Amino acid sequence: MSKKLEVGALLVGALLMISNNTRAEETLTGWLTNFERTKEVKPATDKQYLKECGECHFAYQPGLLPARSWEKLLNADALKKHFGDNAEIDKDTLQTIHDYAVENAADKSFYKRSRKIALATVEGEAPLRITEVLYIKRKHKDIPENMVKGNKDVKSFSNCNKCHTRADKGVFDEDTVVIPNFPDWDD
Amino acid sequence: MKRNYGFINIAISTCLVAASGLVHADDATQNIAIPSIASPYTKSSKSYMLALNDADAPQKQASATAASQSAEFEPPMFSKSNAHKYLGLGTVALVVATALAPKPAENEGGTLTQAQIDEQESSNHARLGKAAATLAAATVVTGLIAHWDDFHVEDGWTDPDNMHALLGTAGALAMLFAVSNAPGGGHAGVGVTGGVAMAAAIKLTW
Repeated sequence: MSKKLEVGALLVGALLMISNNTRAEETLTGWLTNFERTKEVKPATDKQYLKECGECHFAYQPGLLPARSWEKLLNADALKKHFGDNAEIDKDTLQTIHDYAVENAADKSFYKRSRKIALATVEGEAPLRITEVLYIKRKHKDIPENMVKGNKDVKSFSNCNKCHTRADKGVFDEDTVVIPNFPDWDD
Repeated sequence: MKRNYGFINIAISTCLVAASGLVHADDATQNIAIPSIASPYTKSSKSYMLALNDADAPQKQASATAASQSAEFEPPMFSKSNAHKYLGLGTVALVVATALAPKPAENEGGTLTQAQIDEQESSNHARLGKAAATLAAATVVTGLIAHWDDFHVEDGWTDPDNMHALLGTAGALAMLFAVSNAPGGGHAGVGVTGGVAMAAAIKLTW
């Protein structure tokens, strides 16, 4: 019995180790058989998305919010009052970035942080701000106000890339955090 | 016999450390007021520090994006998180090595002589198995230290970090159990299952 179990376990392990699929995030099988790291958030790669969003603020990865949040944010009416600004863009561009955001949203991603965000937002109102997601709040709950709001080089949690030095690559690991003016922030 | 008690003690210690870590993590989360409706995440109605910090976020952030400091920063090679990662990978590697290492001949049904016991205990298979179990215990402990705030019981077992912690701890315990029962006693299946559980735990948060 134990011999069979041993062989079976080794077989499962071997199957997992041998097979590889480069497009991990698209299917469960793909994710299971892919050994590239997917613990963070899928980096945003669409040039138009990066250009349009990145012109005014950090181009937040689509995996930071669920699809229904992007649906609410990326429509012509919503962009007229985009967090206090008029961020209207032409119809075709809007369609492109809308589709990209929705297709790569947290609830459609197998990246770990996106899966946690998707679980965090599965019920209730779709959050419009990433900083409204409880998972994100919880990860930052111990950061005192003076390191962010009172920090002239950060000012707001919405400026992810001010402290997360690999934010543009979708990496939000604690090891990559440097808070400006607070070199020993984690002591 | 002494050795068996030793590993049982290690297993119990690991359990206690794991349990205390869970309690600690739970305590931390209980500081967050969670209202009564919907999921544990979305039922939040209280503003936390994060929301307070974000209340007057600048409307125009073009200058903020420009000043990313990623260029000059290199993440540390040695960190709690990296230690946990490498210990986990090392554990899985040692499980594979243990399973592949030649096993000393077992005396089917009969009583082992002292010479046979000595031979089994000094075999590469036994040494690798013990090393794998020790590394597994160290992985669990470093995981609790480095990631104590990443798992929360109220998020349920579909949460990848919760599954990671559960599978990793179960895998480590299975390995300790296998080592304490070796030689014989069907320890091989339990040991390899422990290794597979740890590998699955790694995959979930890889």
